[in-house]
Amino acid sequence: MKKVKSVVSASEGTSRFSFLKERAIKTLFFCTASLAVVVVTFILLFLLRDGYPIFVDVGIIPFLFGDTWAPTAVPTLFGIFPLIVGTLLVTIGAIVFAVPLSIGCAIYVSELASPRVKSVLKPAIELLAGIPSVVYGFFGLIVLTNFIRVAFDVPTGETWLAASILLGIMALPTIISVSEDAISAVPPEFKEGSLAVGANRWQTISKVIVPAALSGIAAAIILGIGRAIGETMAVLMVAGNAAVIPDPVWNVLSPIRTLTATLGIEMGEVSVGSEHYSALFGIAVVLLIITLIINLSAVALLRYLKEGQYAHSERKPLIPASVQEPFKRVAKVILVAVLIVFLFVAAPGYLAAVILVVLCVLYFAKDRLSRKHIQKISFGIIGAAAFIVLAILIIILSYIIINGFPALSWEFLTQPPKDLGRAGGIYPAIIGTLYLVAGAILIAFPLGVGAAIYLVEYTREGRITRLIRNGVDLLNGTPSIVFGLFGFAFIVLYLTVGVSLLAGQITLALMILPTVIRTTEESLKNIPLSLREGSLALGATRWQTISKVVIPPAVPGIVTGAILCIGRAAGETAPIMFTAVVFSSRFLPTSEFQPVMALPYHLFILATNVPGASANQYATALVLLILVVGMYAIAIIVRYHFQKKSRG
Amino acid sequence: MSESAIITTNNVNLWYNEKRALEAVSMKIPKNTVTALIGPSGCGKSTLLRCFNRLNDLIDHVKITGEITLDNKNIHTPGTDVVLLRKKVGMVFQKPNPFPKSIYENVAYGPRVHGVKDKADLDRIVEQSLRHAALWDEVKDRLNDSALGLSGGQQQRLCIARTLAVEPEVILMDEPCSALDPIATAKIENLIDLLKKDYTVIIVTHNMQQAARVSEYTGFMYLGKLIECGKTVQIFEHPREELTENYITGRFG
Repeated sequence: MKKVKSVVSASEGTSRFSFLKERAIKTLFFCTASLAVVVVTFILLFLLRDGYPIFVDVGIIPFLFGDTWAPTAVPTLFGIFPLIVGTLLVTIGAIVFAVPLSIGCAIYVSELASPRVKSVLKPAIELLAGIPSVVYGFFGLIVLTNFIRVAFDVPTGETWLAASILLGIMALPTIISVSEDAISAVPPEFKEGSLAVGANRWQTISKVIVPAALSGIAAAIILGIGRAIGETMAVLMVAGNAAVIPDPVWNVLSPIRTLTATLGIEMGEVSVGSEHYSALFGIAVVLLIITLIINLSAVALLRYLKEGQYAHSERKPLIPASVQEPFKRVAKVILVAVLIVFLFVAAPGYLAAVILVVLCVLYFAKDRLSRKHIQKISFGIIGAAAFIVLAILIIILSYIIINGFPALSWEFLTQPPKDLGRAGGIYPAIIGTLYLVAGAILIAFPLGVGAAIYLVEYTREGRITRLIRNGVDLLNGTPSIVFGLFGFAFIVLYLTVGVSLLAGQITLALMILPTVIRTTEESLKNIPLSLREGSLALGATRWQTISKVVIPPAVPGIVTGAILCIGRAAGETAPIMFTAVVFSSRFLPTSEFQPVMALPYHLFILATNVPGASANQYATALVLLILVVGMYAIAIIVRYHFQKKSRG
Repeated sequence: MSESAIITTNNVNLWYNEKRALEAVSMKIPKNTVTALIGPSGCGKSTLLRCFNRLNDLIDHVKITGEITLDNKNIHTPGTDVVLLRKKVGMVFQKPNPFPKSIYENVAYGPRVHGVKDKADLDRIVEQSLRHAALWDEVKDRLNDSALGLSGGQQQRLCIARTLAVEPEVILMDEPCSALDPIATAKIENLIDLLKKDYTVIIVTHNMQQAARVSEYTGFMYLGKLIECGKTVQIFEHPREELTENYITGRFG
């Protein structure tokens, strides 16, 4: 019998060519992946380069622990201790506000909510994450501070309390979604085991499910802290910004100033190269270090959990059981003390007393109540937490829609501003924001997707991937205002690009890069290994496998991630404040090297610096909100659509 | 059957969405005996077992008709306290599922949720349950260690101890040995033999030898139906139904 000549044949020449091509592609992806590390290094270098003089002139200890921040006084004083304390206090307040609400809401969503309620709550929480920080700040400035001023009868509502509540609201979605993931990841066998010995639902939740998810919840809280510490615009608009330590230190009705707010306020007016300029970069270094520590510990905790899933039986609990009991007792006492102090300061006297009495009654009645009643009360509290979260979203959205809608008109959308934005429209700002966002995503998308492909498809876990991943994590945890400073020092000044569209686009691109990498990585990892093996087993090359088998099913996930990034970039103020924007301009930019107007910055200036622009404020906030929330809504719909499709 | 029945089912049907998983199942489980449910995969034996403590309630879109009684009381009448039912009808799962707590806390969990607070009482219950589950000697010096550090067989006996600690009347076992090696399996089987003095055990198994070794009564299920039910000796030696004989002699399965 004659052997039939194979149709599929590989000659030496083509295989050599394809080998070189494979190498080239791999190298290309490696370059995009290492960019994250390069950027982090550059950020550190340039912050240190410009911040270094202040550490030499003033000294590290006086800089960190000096109690007066008076950069323009004579003689100048550069002590950032009040700012560090301010940052910590605001963050603590935010966490006290956000943690009970978030955990209640997370338990509600993952354990109690019916599928229908869940389908409303989950997108609502994502929308809450989508509202730009400057819109939060605007809402806080107009509504929250006024409420506090009236409720507590104080001269101004711009206080620590206002900043903490606002930051707490902004940290809610982070904490809720990460703790919900942790709770949902508790194996169903634990739940069944508990129910099978006759525990009721609340006992199962409180004694088995939540304890099992505790480390994940802890990581969620740490990430929430990171979010709160890095926030600039919202805090700046409601905190009052007096660089003093509250007196007494628990006086939540005192104005307060954070590290980030200081950068946001003073960076725009400082003369380059002065001592003050270098002090601001010194602050950025301190801020960066604080956030890095916080974010890395959260990442380490989450990674520890992920590894723990595979080595289940050998894993030791994080805190040994023998220490846990006394530890818990001490933690409880501290928590109660903090709550009582906070209660008495934050709530008017009689209200605090009422709440305290109710809590005491509940505590002492606990043993007398049947567990059915305890379950009812607990579920009531948890449901209330979820309801409050939903109510916050509805209040913010409806407030801006109701006040902004009447001022919205065709002219407003198509005319340049007049009289410093009091009249006229916001056309140049809309176009400027679109230019900025388009440029940012064009830069970040290919780089981010390339990096993710390298990380998932081309390497095993090793020293290099760990380095790159750490780079991505660090970039992800960097506060947006620090990107703004870096963009200013490196792109605007060092590369002499000037305050321009291009500088803003690059800065925004660096900021969203880690998110693009993350979401792409997640979608690639969701593609089962068997698909890759099937393709490779047919003799396909790596790149053929990736481009033809792995990427197509991952596209919806990657696109969703990109849309979320567009939404985030459109709403950011801090990174473009010093790199790309002007406040009022009648003209559209004609080249990449001209500055532009942008919606979030326009809103910020209208709300803080231009009296008598109230109608246009609301309308600008509404347009920004529609733009950003619209992006999020599209992303949610895209994801939902493809999820449904993949389920068949 | 001569002994009094503790659980009876009468014409029980169960649907997952549109799919019928149990069809007209009627049987009696005699008190203080070991009853085995055997049958090929997907025949509904685990589903039936999970009816007895209403653990199927956790799954969406399940519909049950017919009557199941425990101590002559219908467990589906409105107002039945499911929590109390599950205290009376304990369950051991296919895969050992100790909580991520210490050994002591795992056993004490049940009594605690039922309101036992006194430390001395708890200590006594924990020791008794662990002894009963033939685990005490192996773990008495490390009660505060994590339960996840135990071997698979030890974890399963810990789960049995956890079940015993709430003093149930009936213990459901859903293929309790399928994840274990032969030595650990032998220990559990011995334990089951001891338990029937005080408890009624219903065990689901796909291992016919195991059913023959540990049980006095056997029910054979096929495609959601209870084909035959009777003394184990009779089922294995003189099956009435041809299907049963085919399965037992290994002609399908």
